[in-house]
Order: sequence, then C-alpha cells, then structure tokens
Amino acid sequence: MINLRRHRAILLAYLGMLLLLLLTSVVAPGFLSAAHLRSTVVLAAFIGIVALGQTFVIIGGGIDLSVPWVLNAAAVLMTLAAAGQNGPLLYIVPLLLVAGALVGAINGLGVALFGVPPIIMTLAVNVILQGGILVFTGGAPTATAPPAIQFLAVGRIAGFPVILILWIVIAVVATLLLSRSAFGRYLYAVGSSAAVATFSGVPTLATTVAAYTLSGFAAALAGMLLTGYTAQAYLGMGDPYLFTSIAAVAIGGASILGGSGNYIGTIAGALVLTILTGLLPALNLSNGALLVVYGVVILVTVSLGSESIAAFLGSFRRARRGDGAAL
Amino acid sequence: MTDFLKATAVVKRYGGIVALGRADLSARAGEVHALLGENGAGKSTFIQILAGAVRADSGTITLAGEAYRPKNPEAAQAAGVAAVFQELSLIPDLTVAENVWFRHEPLSPLGTVRAATLNAATAELFARYRFPDIRPDREVRRLTLAERQVVEIGKALSRNPRVLILDEATSALPPAETEWLLGLARSVAAAGTLVIYISHRLGEVRAIADRITVFRNGETVAAYETQAVDDETIIADMLGRRMDRLYPPRVATATDRVALGLRGFGAGSKLSGIDLDLKEGEVLGVAGLQGHGQRELFQALFGLGRAEGSVALWGQPRDIRSPRAALSGRDGLALVPEDRRSHGLMLAKSIRENLTLSVVRRFTRFGLTDPTREQALVEEMIRTLRIKADSPEQPAGTLSGGNQQKVIFGKMLLTEARILLLYDPTRGIDVGTKGEIFTLMRRLAAEGYAILFYSSDLAELVHVADRVAVLRNGRLAAVLEGDDNSEHGILRAAMIERAAA
Repeated sequence: MINLRRHRAILLAYLGMLLLLLLTSVVAPGFLSAAHLRSTVVLAAFIGIVALGQTFVIIGGGIDLSVPWVLNAAAVLMTLAAAGQNGPLLYIVPLLLVAGALVGAINGLGVALFGVPPIIMTLAVNVILQGGILVFTGGAPTATAPPAIQFLAVGRIAGFPVILILWIVIAVVATLLLSRSAFGRYLYAVGSSAAVATFSGVPTLATTVAAYTLSGFAAALAGMLLTGYTAQAYLGMGDPYLFTSIAAVAIGGASILGGSGNYIGTIAGALVLTILTGLLPALNLSNGALLVVYGVVILVTVSLGSESIAAFLGSFRRARRGDGAAL
Repeated sequence: MTDFLKATAVVKRYGGIVALGRADLSARAGEVHALLGENGAGKSTFIQILAGAVRADSGTITLAGEAYRPKNPEAAQAAGVAAVFQELSLIPDLTVAENVWFRHEPLSPLGTVRAATLNAATAELFARYRFPDIRPDREVRRLTLAERQVVEIGKALSRNPRVLILDEATSALPPAETEWLLGLARSVAAAGTLVIYISHRLGEVRAIADRITVFRNGETVAAYETQAVDDETIIADMLGRRMDRLYPPRVATATDRVALGLRGFGAGSKLSGIDLDLKEGEVLGVAGLQGHGQRELFQALFGLGRAEGSVALWGQPRDIRSPRAALSGRDGLALVPEDRRSHGLMLAKSIRENLTLSVVRRFTRFGLTDPTREQALVEEMIRTLRIKADSPEQPAGTLSGGNQQKVIFGKMLLTEARILLLYDPTRGIDVGTKGEIFTLMRRLAAEGYAILFYSSDLAELVHVADRVAVLRNGRLAAVLEGDDNSEHGILRAAMIERAAA
C-alpha cells in the first residue's frame, strides 16, 4: 500500500522533474533527444552517487560537509597512484574506498561519541583533507584516469551507459537498506529523536557511525568515477558537490532535520538538479545570473517540500478561517 | 490586621481542564503564609497568576487594597510581587551579578552598566541577607544547582518585593542553605514583607509559617493558624475523599520468586542504599515527594546514568549500562518513561514504526525485515491494548495522550521483558484509559510479570500496588503493605522525618 501523505514530498519531486522536462523541451527543443537525455542521466548519476551517503547521513539527523574533499582526495590519489594504468586499480580502488569509509567513520565518531556538532566536525575534516592534498600534490596533479575507470564512467554495454547500471544497483541496495533493514529502521529513529531511539534500545552510536562511514565510502567512489568522466583529476573538482549533494536530498523530500526521506527521492533530486543545470544555459543567462536562478529554484523547491513550511502555510490558512483563535 | 493580599474565587481553565476551580487566599503583610497541596492541586497555577505569568479567567485579587491584575511578569514585579520558581530563570552565560540585576540594572549617569557597580551592588545585597558565599562575578553556568537556586532568591530580593513567593525553594538546597533560607524568610517577613511559602516539607512549614492555606483539586479547602492545627488534619485536607471505582480488584498474585533484587543500589548523590525485592507477579509501588530519588531509581535501573550497588534479574547478577542492555528480551527489563513526547515516541512516525522499534530483530530474516511478520506483531498489540487509530500508519503524534501511552506500552510489551518499570504512566491521561492501564497492569502481574510502578498520584499506588516503597531524600523510608498502604501512611513516610511505624 502506498501512503500518499508520507510520500507526498517524493511525488512532488518527481512531478517537479517532469514539469522541468516539459519546460526545457519548450525552451530548447533538442533537449528531449535520446542522446541528450542519456547524458543528463549520466551526469545525474554522479550527483546521485555522491548524494547516496548524504541521504543516509541527513536521514540520521546529521550532515556531511566533508564530501567535496573526500571525493577530491580519492580522485587525485587514484589517478596519481595508477598513473594511467589499469593494473594497479585492483588494490588502489579497494584501498581508497576503505580510506574514504575510514574518514567517514572518524566523522561519525566525532559526532556520536564526542558530541562535536556535525557541521563543525565534517567541515573541519573537509578542510584538513583539502590542505593535505594541496601539500601532497604541490598544487597541480596532472595524472589522467586509467581506461578501466573511463569505461565505468562513460562506457556503454549494448548502448546502455555503464554508470547507469552502477547507479541502479546502488539505488536498489540503498533502498533495501533504508526500508527493509534493521539499520534503516534505526537510522530513521536516530534522526527522528536520538533520545527516543536510546530509550528504545537502538544502538545509536553504531548507527550514526555507519551512516557517516557510508557517506565517506560513497564520496570516494564518486570521486574515482568522476575522474573517468573528466578524464583526469583536478583540485576543486569536488566543490560543486557540496551543495548539490545536500540539495538533491532535500529536493527529494527528506527533512534536513532528519528522520525522513529516502533514496528514491534523492534520485529525483539529482535529476532535477541536472535538468536545471542544462536548462538555464539554454535561457541565455550569464554565468552569474545562472547561479542566482539555480540557488533560488532550489530554495523554493526545498521550501515547498518541507514539512515546517507546509505546517506554516497550513496554520496561516487555519488562522484566516478563524479556528486558530482557540490557541 | 487587614489582609494585604486577598484572592477571591480565582478560576483558571486550560481548554477543558480546570486548573483552578475556586482559589481563595487571604494573607497579611509581615507573615509567612504557607500554601500546601498535592501535586496538581493548583498551587503552581495560583502563584503563576500572582506572578503575572498566567492570567486568571475570573475572580478578583487585591493587593494592599487595590485591584491587582498583572498583565505580565514585568507588571507583577512593578507592583512589588517577586517569585522564585522551581524552574530556574537564570541565564547561564551571564554572571551572578548580571542575573540578579537583569533588566533593572543600576545605571551610571551616562546610562551605561558597569560590571564593578553591579558586582558591588550584588555583594551588598548578599551581605544584607547573609547569603552563602557566592562570588558576584562568576558565570552562572559554573554554579551548582543549589547555588543557582540561591542566586534566584537574590534576584527576587533585589527588587525589594512587598510579596515574596518561594515555590519549593528548598528542594534543591542542602541542609545548611535550607536553614539559611528558613531564617531569611522569617526575617524578610519580620521587616514587613508577605512571604508566600510553598513546600512539601511539613517540618519546614511548621518551623516558619504563621498561617497555612490548603489547596485540593484546584480549590481552597482550608486555612489555619499554624499553631492551631496538627499534621494529621493538614494531610487529611490535602487528600480529601476520592472515588475508587477506577481501580480493578486487586488479587495478590506475587510468588516467592524474586524478579528484581536490589542491594545497596544507588545513583549519584540523589539515591543510595536501596535494598528492595520485586517479586514475580507483583506490582510494587514507588512513592515519594518530587525530587526524592524516584526518577533516579528508574533511570539507573534502565541503564541511563551511573548506578552503584548490585542488581539481579531473576536471580542473575546484571550490570546494565544502557537501555539497550536492559532490553535484552525475556530476561530483561523495559521502561515506560516519564516524558512521553521526548523519550517515548517518535511523534512524526507511524504507530507501526513506534511499536516495533525495539524489536526489529524479531521480524528480520536474512538481513531483511519481513513486513508480514511485522504487521502481525503490530496488529496483535493494537488489539490487546485497544489502541484507537485509523490505521497502523497513522503518525503517533496525532493520537490522544492515552493512545500514545498505549503505543509506548505496546513497544515495551513486544520486547517480552517481564520486568516492567512504569514511571508515572497515567499522568495527563483521561480517566477511561487510566482504568484500562490499571487493569492491564494487574493482568500482566497475574501472568507473571513483575512491575515497578511510580505514580505522582498516591491514590493509584494505594489501589493498584501490592506494596509501596516510599523514598525520602534518596533513601528507602518505608515499605508499606496491607493497611499501612494508605495515602495517609505514604505521605507520613514521605514527609515526616521519622519513618512511619
């Protein structure tokens, strides 16, 4: 049984996405071609994979601002270590995924065990990684991505983008984890109310650490895949993903305060953001104006979906009807 | 002497709930006037009206012969009424002096506030009333709870009040400071101020009050000169008569098997040296005045906070350090917490998700939850507890208080723990659901559950519990059963320094 009330925000996200597609096809007629749609979905996949971890962390009531440089570090270290060769990837990729997960675990422990506010903890880790990579590379890494990675990012199997297959697998696993596993239950509980979760015997520490660990893992994975798309790693390549990873989750209907949302929503969020990015240049806006519109649209979308705004508008309507007076 | 403060037929309702039905009070300047009553009798509402925090629906109050109807706390203070509440109003980041003079700071000719002036004024104020030693320039966050309470009193005195209200002001104070405060109340009154003194401690009231007014169920039921009345009469006035058809018949179902055995159990400075056995099939009541260790007992048993001494569950020694460790299935213990909304329920989540949160593993197979099995558990609980809801997917926050409490009960019953800790499970719940909860408790006891039951309503303990353990100052004052298990007996043990015979 589908509960409309509960999934209203997610439905809204998909409706918004369709609306945007229609709008785009009017403004830029070539947009709905198969080739263009495919490239849009591929671009959305990167956002979707980065936002995978962010989804878990935000549902658990936290936020991960270390995404950009975990992503960037994994990308730079992978290209440097592999030096364009496929062979070394066999141990480099697993090693870097574990390293990303470890960074996430440190975030989680800082938040759940030592009580550092998530914003501070993950921002600090982000800056530390940024500095570390700058020192390590001397400022200008030049290595290119190995062919295997490029295949994963831009290759096709029977005309179907490989990255999309990967994204679908990730989406299935993430959705099962959230809706059908004990970990998922605990995560929503911790995000709803850490106190209630504790009183109910939920392992809150382990749950929080696991969410951040997953986020570190996802960021590292996305970083390496992204080098395949851009053909090389460069400093600052992760920076756009800070805002987009959070925005995708929020547009997807999750409460930024935790306890609600799911990955199906995040997928819609990633698609909306990508379509928007494609649409705005078609309107012949300058780069600056483009950013302004981008920000405003995201703000409005997220606000419309947010429970508190809905409640606020609702109370406004009630007050005008006059039955708010009893309060 | 004429009445300085006179309240007549003061009424206050919150929606359909009557907080004050008809409160009357006459008090003279220069006396200490005690206000007594059980929790929920309306004392707090009444003094909040006096302090301007709440506005009465009807009734008249006169102060020094003039109509007194303060719009807000500022107006009350301007009229010379200062109150010290149980909930502290200090700002942790400000210093003692800044708090004392908050919003009526002594100003320099330029209209500025100087720290030195504030500190000097505070030191002078503290010296005049022989305050315990607290430095005016310390940050309030660094003070102990008792010290904050003292600062709160200083803040009230800094306004040179004509009426000083002290609401349970000694509950956080150690003995020496309590003595000081009692002396202070007397000397302030001797200087012409009316002191309204609210305390559960009859001994204190006897020591300082000139007169006593007793509230019960929102109404004034008696007023006395302190010398002209004995403790027994006051307690009888506080309790009144009650209907008791609310309660199911009590059939003794306790066996000899000890479910929960405590030896030398304690928690921090609030609870110590508790020796107690809860038996299989027994409902053991816990009683005590507010802040005498009941909360600490329940929290420590459930693994929240540090505990000392030994705990044995069903004969096995256990070291429970977290709720997760407590909720270990059939041999564990489960808690229905005091604060439904912030500790018991995820308000935005469905009844189903709330009910099964503690037992996700019971319906998880090969790492995946099984919705069919979950649904079976949920439906079983909704049926047994008669939870009234449109569907199991309804958010728990939209249920009535009674049904919310049933969901919490259901969550704990699903854990299969056979030792239940119930902390004030009927507070704020309609009478019908109360009856259902009592019936459920007796039925569970008959099935072999062991129940530890605290209630702020003494009548519930008397009528539902097999025995009642009374706490006073964090220690076990008495265990009452049979005829001794009466509201009278409990109050005596909880309030009067010697244990009840």
